[in-house]
Amino acid sequence: MRRRILQGIWGLIWVLPFLLLLVLSIGRQWPFPALLPRQWSLAYWADVFARGGNLNESLLFSLVLSLSIAAIATGLGYVTSRQIAYHPKKERWLLLAYFPYAMAPVILAACLQHYFLVLGWSGKWSGVWLAQLCITYPFAVIFFSGFWNQRMQSMEHLVTTLGGTYWQAFRKVLLPMSSSALLVCFFQTFLISWFEYGLTSLIGVGKVQTLPVKVFQYVQEANIFLAALAGCLLFLPPLILWWMNKRWLFRQG
Amino acid sequence: MFLQIRNITKSFGTEQVLQDLSLDLEARRMCSILGRSGSGKTTLLKIIAGLEGADRGSVWLDSQPLDPVPAHARNVVYLYQEALLFPHLNVSENVAFGLRLRREAGRQVEKKVGQMLEELELTAHARKRPDQLSGGQRQRVAFGRALIVQPRLLLLDEPFGALDTETRQTMQSLLKRICGEHGITALFVTHDLKEAIRMGDVFGWMQGGRLKTYPGLDGFLNDSETGIQDEIAFWKSLYDDHEKGL
Repeated sequence: MRRRILQGIWGLIWVLPFLLLLVLSIGRQWPFPALLPRQWSLAYWADVFARGGNLNESLLFSLVLSLSIAAIATGLGYVTSRQIAYHPKKERWLLLAYFPYAMAPVILAACLQHYFLVLGWSGKWSGVWLAQLCITYPFAVIFFSGFWNQRMQSMEHLVTTLGGTYWQAFRKVLLPMSSSALLVCFFQTFLISWFEYGLTSLIGVGKVQTLPVKVFQYVQEANIFLAALAGCLLFLPPLILWWMNKRWLFRQG
Repeated sequence: MFLQIRNITKSFGTEQVLQDLSLDLEARRMCSILGRSGSGKTTLLKIIAGLEGADRGSVWLDSQPLDPVPAHARNVVYLYQEALLFPHLNVSENVAFGLRLRREAGRQVEKKVGQMLEELELTAHARKRPDQLSGGQRQRVAFGRALIVQPRLLLLDEPFGALDTETRQTMQSLLKRICGEHGITALFVTHDLKEAIRMGDVFGWMQGGRLKTYPGLDGFLNDSETGIQDEIAFWKSLYDDHEKGL
């Protein structure tokens, strides 16, 4: 019984902040010390799905940005990490991949900003896309660096001696064996891009309004209802990913 | 000669791994190469398989120079110490792998796989995943996967190194029997003296990147360089002491 109560409290601690976000996103007029908002409305949510709405453009762009970043970074990281793993000077190359994380992404953005300004990429979606790739791509390289080991190389060699070309080895052995890792890397790079704020606001100079940028903007404007709505939208994709992870990935394991 | 290796030399950086190495092997014979770790055995096999390039020398198989032939077109299968079964495929599909690469017809594949599994006493395990098999069973699947493509040459790199003594002996007998039945030409490298004697028709001793070959067991056993005589003397003295009751 005591254990169940403790479990309930523990669960409530996790759920309450999200519940509060949800209440705020459908609430109107909530003066202190009222326990609940005085009015309830789905108008903000309806606005998200309406054409030309305040948040739907940010939501859509953020989704396209993060999904494309995750796909490209995962694919590039997978291929690059293989080249690095079998290179005689692999430690030196791998050290380069740690560089953006050793100096923190926001400091990297400050360093990159000058080049982006000169090249005219500052304040553009393409610029933010490229800047986010600068942190997700090395992450994917580091992520897969442990995957390409002596055993995988032996597997590849074995397929070759059994009569397979490199493409057959990739398609019939390496890809199926790495599908779970690819999926996890895709999720993680998606999340890095999805929640990225510092680098996006520096390179985007306020013109590129991804969902995290919008949340901070609403918070600064003290518009708690819209900030809550944007916060809810920000949590939706990770929740879906978490559910997918649980449903497919752990079942595979 | 079916396999002819001529004056192979290989270096990694400043370290010379193979030095002017030559070997002849007739078809349907198994050559046991005994050597300590780091003697260059694996590098030799990788050069024959086409997975490494030699700095100098040539390899000929059935009167065909292998050097210009890429590894996947040589039909020379390399087996590792570890079975390296594909974890996403069951036993049956692992064995069928090479045939699928060659795009053989489905019914033909099924028939060949069925026969091979029966020969290796694996029929009951056909639908199992590799992680459901014992070490010996995994190695048998690896043999089946290699033998089903009818390789011109089989290269075995200490394939029983990870097995316990009893399974090892069973596997040695099984491999010897199957290779004989299928008329397989093979190079078997090991650092285990008993295994080398048990598996080979002809023998080789490898040390410091050099290979010395013996057409028969007598020459192999009587060469003082290999250390076999010391080992025989050791066991003999142990036996004599035991007999004398010491």
